Order: sequence, then C-alpha cells, then structure tokens
Amino acid sequence: MNLLTLALRNIRLNRKKYIMYVFSMGFSIFTVYTFLALMQNNYVKMAFQFDTRYTMILTSFGVIILVFVLFFLISSNNSFIRARKKEISTYSLFGMTNLRIGKLLFLETMLVGTATLAIGIGAGIFFSKLMAMFLLDLCLTNFVGDISFTIDPMAMVVTALLFLIIFCMMGLSALRVIYQFELVDLFKADKISEGKQKGSVAVLILSLILITSGYILASINNSMVVVLGAIPILILVISGTYLFFWGGLPKVLGLIKRNKRVYYGGVNLISVSAVSHRMKSIASVMATIAVLSAVAATAIATGFTLYSNAERNTYSNIGFDLVYYGEKVALQDEMHGVFETNHVNINRKDIVELNEVDPKTESIMIRERKHLSDEDSFRVYSETKYNSLIMASKNNLESVQIPSGKAYYIFPFSQEGIEDAMLGLELDFQDSAVQIMKVIRSNVPGFGLDHTLILNDRDYEVLVRSNEITPSQMNGRTLTATVITYEAALSNKKLNNELEEALTGKVERYRTAYSLYNESMETFGLICFIGFFMSGVFILMTASLLYFKQVMAAEEERHQYKMLRRIGMEDKTERQVIQKRLLPVFFIPLAIGIIHSIFAMKTADTIIFSNMIPVENSYLSVLGFSTVMYLAYAVVYGVFYLITKSQYGRLVRNESH
Amino acid sequence: MQILKVENVSKIYGTKRNSNKYTALRNISFEVNQGDFIGVMGASGSGKTTLLNILGSLDKPTTGNYIMNGQNIGDLQRNQLAKHRMENIGFIFQDYNLLETMTLKENIILPLSLMGMDAKTIEAKLAKLAGDLGIVPVIDKYPYEVSGGEQQRAAACRALINNPKMILADEPTGNLDSKSGKDLLNLLSFINTEYKTTILMVTHDVFAASYCQKILFIRDGEIYNELYAGSDKKHFFDSIIDVMSMLGGERK
Ligand SMILES: Nc1ncnc2c1ncn2[C@@H]1O[C@H](COP(=O)(O)OP(=O)(O)O)[C@@H](O)[C@H]1O
Ligand SMILES: [Mg+2]
Repeated sequence: MNLLTLALRNIRLNRKKYIMYVFSMGFSIFTVYTFLALMQNNYVKMAFQFDTRYTMILTSFGVIILVFVLFFLISSNNSFIRARKKEISTYSLFGMTNLRIGKLLFLETMLVGTATLAIGIGAGIFFSKLMAMFLLDLCLTNFVGDISFTIDPMAMVVTALLFLIIFCMMGLSALRVIYQFELVDLFKADKISEGKQKGSVAVLILSLILITSGYILASINNSMVVVLGAIPILILVISGTYLFFWGGLPKVLGLIKRNKRVYYGGVNLISVSAVSHRMKSIASVMATIAVLSAVAATAIATGFTLYSNAERNTYSNIGFDLVYYGEKVALQDEMHGVFETNHVNINRKDIVELNEVDPKTESIMIRERKHLSDEDSFRVYSETKYNSLIMASKNNLESVQIPSGKAYYIFPFSQEGIEDAMLGLELDFQDSAVQIMKVIRSNVPGFGLDHTLILNDRDYEVLVRSNEITPSQMNGRTLTATVITYEAALSNKKLNNELEEALTGKVERYRTAYSLYNESMETFGLICFIGFFMSGVFILMTASLLYFKQVMAAEEERHQYKMLRRIGMEDKTERQVIQKRLLPVFFIPLAIGIIHSIFAMKTADTIIFSNMIPVENSYLSVLGFSTVMYLAYAVVYGVFYLITKSQYGRLVRNESH
Repeated sequence: MQILKVENVSKIYGTKRNSNKYTALRNISFEVNQGDFIGVMGASGSGKTTLLNILGSLDKPTTGNYIMNGQNIGDLQRNQLAKHRMENIGFIFQDYNLLETMTLKENIILPLSLMGMDAKTIEAKLAKLAGDLGIVPVIDKYPYEVSGGEQQRAAACRALINNPKMILADEPTGNLDSKSGKDLLNLLSFINTEYKTTILMVTHDVFAASYCQKILFIRDGEIYNELYAGSDKKHFFDSIIDVMSMLGGERK
C-alpha cells in the first residue's frame, strides 16, 4: 500500500477524531484570516495611519495571535497523535520506520489541513462579515465608521502560506512525539503517566508572591509609576501564572489529597487524581489560556468601558449641547430658525456672563512644573451663579454651598498632586482673603481659563463692588458664553451641520456636543470594535483548544470509566466524576484570567479612566462595565464546557471500540 | 448455605437481525454455596468469560435466571445493578484493571469511597487488609511502578475491601509468572478460608485449578463435567489433566 492510500484510509478510519481536529483547527485559520482581513480593511488602515499607537497595539495583537495559533496547533496535534498511539505503535511493530510513520502523518495533516484551510477561510469570509455586522449594529450602534469586510485575496494568500509553514512545523513536532514512543507502549497501552507533577510549596508560594506583587504594583494610584511599571508588572504576573500552573496547582492538588475527609469522597478521589495525572500535559495550556484570557478580557472591558462612557465623557467635557462665545441679536433669530425648521425643541438656553479675578497668590509647583503663578487669572463664580450653571448643564456635577472666607477650586485636568497642593491655599484680595477648601475636576465652568473659583455669595458681591472681579474681555467687548441644551443632540447630524454653518465666522468660538461625541465615538468605537473582535477570537480559540484537548484525553481515559463501571460506579456518580474532571480545566484559567484582568483594569483606570469618567470612584464604575464583559466571557466558556462535557461523556460511555 | 443459583442461562451474541448469531452459553445451571472456591475451566473460546461477566452482572443473559441471595438479578435496574456490584461482588481481572492515575492505595479504597464511607473507617479497613495481603511496602506507588504480581494483589485487595459475598476472578494468574501466580493463589485460598468469601475463578491453568474445591468444565457453552477435590491432592490434579485433555484444552 502506498502512503497516499494509507493516509486516505487512515483519515476515513479516524474520521470522528478528524472532525474534531478540523473543528478546532478551523478556528485558528478563521482567526488568522479574519485578523488579516481586518488589517487590510480600508477604514481600519486609514484610521491607524494617524495614530501609531493603534498600529502598535494591532501588530502586537497579531504577534500574540500567531504565537498562540502555533502553540495551539502543535499542542493539539501532539495530543491527537498521542490519542492514536496504539495505531502508530502497530505500524512500528510491523516494521515501519519512524520516519515513514512521520511522513504518513504529515501527509494526513496536509490532506486534512488543506481541506480545513478552505473551510476556515470560507468561514472567515462569511463570519467576519457577519461578526462585523453584528458588532456594529448591535453593540456599537453609535459607531459611525464603515468597517465592511470584503473578500480579501491578499489575506487569503497570506493565511494559506502561513498555515502551510505551520503544518510543516507541526509535522516536525509530530516526528519528535513519534520518536518518543517506545514499542512497549503498545502493550502497556496508556498505562504510563504523562508525568505526574508533584509541585512544591516553595513554587506555590513564589508564584503567589509574584502575582501578588504584580497586583500591588498595578494598584498604585499614580499613573506615572504604573506606566513605567507596566513591563515589570507583566513579567511578574505572567511568570507567576506559569509557575502557579507548573508547580503551584499540582501542590494544591497534593494538599487536597492530604485532606482525607475531602479526598476520600469517591468522586473527588477519581477526578482529583485524574486531573493531577494530566497536570503536566495541561499545565502550560492552562497557564497560556489564563494569560490570554486576561489580555482578552482586559481588551474587551477597556473597549466597552471607553465606548459606554463616551456620552458621559462628552458631557463631562463640554457640559452642554452647544456652547458659543459672543451673542448677537441677529444670530439669535437665525439660530432659533434652524431649530424650528428641524422641529427640535430647545430644552434650555442660558447666557453666562464670564468674569475673572486675579488674586495674589504664591506660585505652586507640581512635579517641577509650574501649576499656578501670581499672574494667572481665575474664572470666578458666586455660589448661586455656579449652581444655576450646573443645573442647566448635562454634566453631573453637584451643587455647592460655600461658607464665607472659603472657596472651591476647579481644574479641568486630573493630575497627581493638584489636590494636595491646592487644598488650604490662601488667595489674597485687597481687603480680604479666601482659603481653598475643596478641589473639583471639571472642564465645564472654565470657559477658556484653566483655573476656576467659586466663592460665597457675599464675598463675591464685595469683590465685585471693589472692582476686583471684572467681566472678561475679548476683542474689546465683554465676553459671554451662550449655552444651549436640546433634544436628541447626539444623534441629529443634520441639525448639527446647519447649526455649525450658521455659527461659523459669526462667533468667536463654538463647540457642539455632537461633534465631540462623534469624534470620541470614532476612536473609542474602533478601539472597542477591535477589542471585541480580538477578544471574541481569543475566547473561541482558547475554548476550542480546551475542548479538543479534553476530547482527545477522553479517548485515553475511556478504559478507566469502563473499569469504574465494572466495580459498580453508578451513572449519577459518573456524571459527577466527569464534571469534576472537566470543570477545573475550564474554570481555573478563566477565573485567574479574570482576576488578572480586574487588576489590569485598575491600571487602566489609573492611566485613562480616572481622567475620563467624572465620578468619585471611577474604578467601581469601570468594574461595573467590565463585569458585563466578564460575564459574556464566562457564558461562552460555559457553553464550550457543556459541549465538551457531553462529547466527553459520550466518548467514555461508548463501550465498544 | 446457597448463595448463587444459576438456572438455564444462555447467551447468544449478535441477536440483531442480519448479523450471524453465536451461542456462547447454552442452558447452564449450577449452584454455589457460601464459602465455596469454584474453578471454571475450558478451552479458549468456550464461554468462560461470558459466564463470569453474566454472574458479575456486567452482561445480561439472553435467557435464564440467576439468583443471588434470593434476589433475581435479572430484575434489577441499571443503577441497582451498579449498587449490587459494588456491595456484593469483587472482581479480579487478568489484566488487573487498576486505574493508572491512582496509587495502589487509592485504587484499593476506591469502592469504599464511592460508597461514601468516611475516611477513618476506610483507613481502618485498608490497614487490616493491606497487612493480610502483604502489599504495605508498595501501597503508595503507582501501578506502573510495581510488578504484575503486586498489581494483582492490589486488585485482589480492592475486590475484597468492601467484604463482598462473592469474588469473581477471570484468569487472575494469566499474566503472572509462576512464583507470583502461586502467591496469588495462596492469597485467594487464604481469603476463602479466613474471610469465608465465596470465590469463582476462571482459569485454564491446571495448577491454579488444583487450588479449588470444585471445578466446572465448560465446552462449547455447556457444562461438560464437574470435579470435586477429594483428600488426595495428587489425584485431583491428575483428574483435572485428564478432563482437560479430553476437552482439548491446553496444558501448562
Ligand atoms: N461481544 C461479543 N460478541 C460476539 N461474540 C462474542 C462476544 N464476546 C465473546 N464472544 C464469543 O463468545 C465465545 C466465548 O467467549 P469467551 O467467553 O470470552 O471465551 P473464553 O472461554 O475464552 O473466556 C467466543 O467464541 C467469542 O468469540
Ligand atoms: Mg476469557
């Protein structure tokens, strides 16, 4: 029989295993194709031309995907070969050389691989469209960019080439596995352990210390430190994770074994020993999946948080739907006309008189940078004026109450140390002085000035009378700001265009919430889209790897279940054993990935969100949004777990074979 | 006291239409009393394993009944059968059938822990039995780390640990060298006399069979002959050889 007929025959005989093989390998091909197609997408290309940061993020995503695909395929290929150990040893028994067996398997891989390649790319073409549509229409309804996938020949060719190379590497790795087999394995069947891992308390503790110190670093509330510490944090957490799975988890299992009351419960005895028996072959997989889950969960949670907060972020930035400086009567009528022809109601319109004050103050340095000097003017409000301003705005600032002699200080940016530096600062006027009692961060009331003060009503009156508070001037005229809120402001493009047209050239400056919102939507939407997309891909890939590994293991573990049934294991017990055997494999990496991500989100909060989300404790709000995504992640894993469980159960119950 | 009664048990393989039927057992009837040590002999393919599997409720007879402790086993549901196996029967197989993921000790206590017994009782039972069966030195090793004889002794230990009424052994010495085989047979005799456990042992080894009190010979799925051990061991041995040679079975 020549090799080709033998290979075809083998594929036919092993078709059940090969179907699972195709299923999980198809995912990788699908992933790579879709990623490449995404990179080739015109819109994405254009968006990323302007920002090298995104290109970098995307490229590193690409590298991670490639490394993982390689790892994934080699790992599943090796467990596939191991599941066919008997068959392979038989060839060897009948005098086939290892090299020839390797050639045979390589031929099989190539045949099945080519078919899978076609399926994977086909699925990629179909599902990338579907996925893009789904994401854009359901999750990112406000995203205005145009990400439509087309059939991309470039991506197809690159995918095919990449996988042919990967298949070759799989062939080599398979050869290594074959050389490791000994002929006696045929007779011992699967009796030899793949290598028990005893683990050690030292490694367990070390891994926990590494991870915890990574967490502690990540939780520092100083964005500078956290940014500098990013690489050390990654190294600490990732190495800790791998150590945990290599040496820590086996030890934990060992400790469970020592607790006889728990361990001797029949189901635990079987499943704990089965898991610890497989530990060596699955530890790296679990660790890798934990790390990837952390990356994916963080990406998805970051994207979602950014996206979900775009509206809040817009209003915390601008406060109103339309702001413009200067007020002319003629313009008034024109504006009203625009609103009327568009049938949009104005909710509220206020004209804000802008005043400033220039008290004597010491210079304030924050981190060697001048924050405040005596020359700086402050935008100034009385308590009443401020309260009515924020009442009118869509911002969620709170109204204030200020005792005489005190002041609130408002600054538009969040920066480490401002609060410490400014609290208690004395501002001296001609006959009086106020002391800053509270620091708030907001963009809204400054109207062009960085520093803003709110004073007690009576203090304010006194300063107006002494001419220390003066109206702001621009081009020789007193400056006012007109602030308007109106209905459906973020979605009415036509109205916005007409308003902008009406205002251009006629006022000093204007801003609309619509433009701001859509600008951030475009960036965040894209980040969010890529986050969703990549995470989706990671989830599917990691989960299908676990599925494949476990189903292949079922092949080897079948005779154990047969034996257990012989000595009287009931069906119910068997289901429990299967559950306890599989659940940790899915659950532990997921849980660790999510815990990692919770801390990663803390870092993301320190760097990005705390500036963006204008609430007291932005981390809690970030966690809220992240939890939604973690749940989605868990649901997908849950589904894969259930599929794996039923397949595994069917395989081990199938007595004939 | 009678423990097992087999009435007209037949087993036909391939009962599905269009596959050729094969009658592996034909109208087998016999009785077993408490404390018996019975051997089942016959040529390869004569139906010994089939019979033992049926008695152990791993397989169902096509027709006929078998009654254990007054209970017709054929009437039991799948899960009741599992329970019945767990509580009343201990198995010893030719290829040991230990779980390679567990140490010998864990393998041995498996039936008890499946029954939900508490750790202390388990330890106590194990300590006694492991001492009697002489596997204490290797008890914390994994099956692939010990010899076949030790694995089989552990398997015997597992079969005994829940004090089964009956032990079914299918060619337990088949994979063992003569020394380990002899040890195991002594062990079974010891179990038989010490714990009053009923033993049914399939074998085609005459030497192994000579340890039994009674031997059933099977040919082509039917009981062909029975032999009882008298006081003269040598005579018993010779009679077995005679019957086996008539059966065309192999000798060792
Ligand atoms: N599952 C089965 N299906 C069909 N025939 C079987 C099956 N199991 C055993 N047989 C046949 O029944 C006969 C008796 O087998 P067995 O009881 O295993 O013999 P032995 O006495 O060697 O243990 C053999 O001829 C065998 O081919
Ligand atoms: Mg047999």
